[in-house]
Amino acid sequence: MSIEPITGRYVTVMIEGAPRRIYFEEAGQGRPVICLHTAGADTRQWRHLMNDAEITTSNRLIAFDMPWHGKSLPPEGFETQEYLLTTEAYIETILAVIDGLGLDRPVLAGCSMGGRIALQLAALHPEKFSGFIAIEASDFQPAWYDIDWFHRPDAHGGEMGAALVSANISPYAPASERWNTLWMFMQSGPGVFRGDLSFYTKDDSLIPRLPTIDTAQTPVHIIVGAYDLTCTPEDAERTAKAIPGATLSVMDELGHFPMSEHPEGFRPFFVEALEKMPKRAAEAA
Amino acid sequence: MNAWETKVINTFKQIQTRLEATPHLQRLGRLFSETVLIEIDGNEYYLTFEKGHIVSVVEGPSRKTPWRFALRTDAEALDKFWQARPEPGFHDIFGLVKIGRGRIDGDILSLVKNLRFFKEVLGLARAKEEVAA
Repeated sequence: MSIEPITGRYVTVMIEGAPRRIYFEEAGQGRPVICLHTAGADTRQWRHLMNDAEITTSNRLIAFDMPWHGKSLPPEGFETQEYLLTTEAYIETILAVIDGLGLDRPVLAGCSMGGRIALQLAALHPEKFSGFIAIEASDFQPAWYDIDWFHRPDAHGGEMGAALVSANISPYAPASERWNTLWMFMQSGPGVFRGDLSFYTKDDSLIPRLPTIDTAQTPVHIIVGAYDLTCTPEDAERTAKAIPGATLSVMDELGHFPMSEHPEGFRPFFVEALEKMPKRAAEAA
Repeated sequence: MNAWETKVINTFKQIQTRLEATPHLQRLGRLFSETVLIEIDGNEYYLTFEKGHIVSVVEGPSRKTPWRFALRTDAEALDKFWQARPEPGFHDIFGLVKIGRGRIDGDILSLVKNLRFFKEVLGLARAKEEVAA
């Protein structure tokens, strides 16, 4: 028997003028690191790093489920709403959770749409953070698929979404973690993956903001997997070049969900990224 | 039929045989009864599925065989796709499209509704290692 050090609790915060009950997990102590999941998934993507004693010795990893995802319920009245995530609502949610948890300038680590919003926050609200780890993150990605495929009455959006995103998982990923990663997409609520993709594939407002990011104040490190078809190494490189002082690491054997699909392969890249971040918020300029 | 065409036909026949020994794919494909065109360097191969089984593999050309969707690619790309650990881009049919080595035509929604089934069936010819389609 083994009981993991991860603990899960709920915090209620105000978002878009209404209360939202947010599920969050945490492990470790020291420097706070907020971890953002990808589209169509939840905090479980981060469980391997949260169970890594060497990392949590000096890092307090905190991951939360976005509303509509995982154990965070959708807002009251969701049954008549069309879920479409926006940059504004995403930013408001993250800032509300940070305030709700009383965190002082955490490091922000986000993957995919979480990486995209990390770069938006680096441009728009750097004073709230000490640094940014943007994983599988780029300036903008138009859809190479029809997002409406993933929410329709005659087919299972979760199963189709999982089958599509499997294209972004590296063949080096262990089979068990490949399927654990896909399971989260299969479980995603109706229309949620589509609503996340709406944010990811339609909002290009980050592009002109990238050169305004001040990495002397808050470092930005981008990590990308070679098997990522959605955010390719070329996309990440273009994005890093547009941010003065940003750094980039390419992972040859990983894909779009590195912390989830291949935890061992991702670990050294995440450790390297943490080393590039200020040790304490007070050290952030 | 040249040696390469024989090899391709044999590979599709191998997929057909392996599918019969893969119960979970038969379950996933139980509602899939369609003909799929695989075009390799302009050569046509028609795979006809019936309730999750491949019932025929026919080489073209044919102007009278209706198909639901088509995957068009080239021999080298497909060889790489069937390696145990393909290079980036060659590891998935949408990867082939993304890197300009493949095209998918026809009723793409039919493909997407049966995407896991179709990708895993095509992956049955992949060199053995612990690698999913």
